[in-house]
Amino acid sequence: MDQDQEQKSKNGQIPFPEDNYTHNIRKMGERKLDRRGFMKMMVGAAGVFAVSTLPWGTIAFNELTGLKKRTYEPKKIADQASLKVGDAIEFSYPGEHDSALLVRLGNDEYKAYQNACTHLKCPVFWSQEDGELLCPCHHGMFDVRTGKPTAGPPKRPLPEIVLKTENGSVYATGVKRYET
Amino acid sequence: MKRSWRGVIALSAVLFLNIVCTQLTVNAFFYDKFRLVLIYAACNVLLFPVSLWIYRKERDRA
Repeated sequence: MDQDQEQKSKNGQIPFPEDNYTHNIRKMGERKLDRRGFMKMMVGAAGVFAVSTLPWGTIAFNELTGLKKRTYEPKKIADQASLKVGDAIEFSYPGEHDSALLVRLGNDEYKAYQNACTHLKCPVFWSQEDGELLCPCHHGMFDVRTGKPTAGPPKRPLPEIVLKTENGSVYATGVKRYET
Repeated sequence: MKRSWRGVIALSAVLFLNIVCTQLTVNAFFYDKFRLVLIYAACNVLLFPVSLWIYRKERDRA
């Protein structure tokens, strides 16, 4: 017991008080990866994990607090009287070069999408006969009520534009969050 | 001195939790559950001082 205690306190010291002739046969390599070094490495790995989740955390924090939430200026698209049921009109929203398409589906039912095809950005047209949004480049089709692709190469839905009707006119008030 | 693997085993557990939390963070992020993302990311960050504490404890035990 006493000897054990003494051994403990002198552990790691030189000369190592142990009566054998083999403990330092490979002296150069024997401390390369001992238990303590391995544990240090594990702590370092935990640190790497901690740091690597920080970006996700900051993005989530920004999303939750709404610091970087985009706001869009409302913009008048068309008068209700000038657009017949089943017709569509092109406009640009929110920027000058973000072309978009407004479709009047019913008396009070409007849908608008940014009409760059989610496949290769060709302009998407409203096909009244088919009742679908059609991309002529590779025959991609989108459901007009949801914006989801129904045929062809595109895999992602068209970004929907939030609309508001007021005093006989249709206004664009925002763009829905892009969903994958 | 008798060899003790307690620290190594505890740190392995910590690293396993790290992997689990990272995966859950990314998963929650993909599904836009930002509150969950924050919780898992905080777990991951807090696991680092825990591992440091385990290491210190094991080092000073000898």
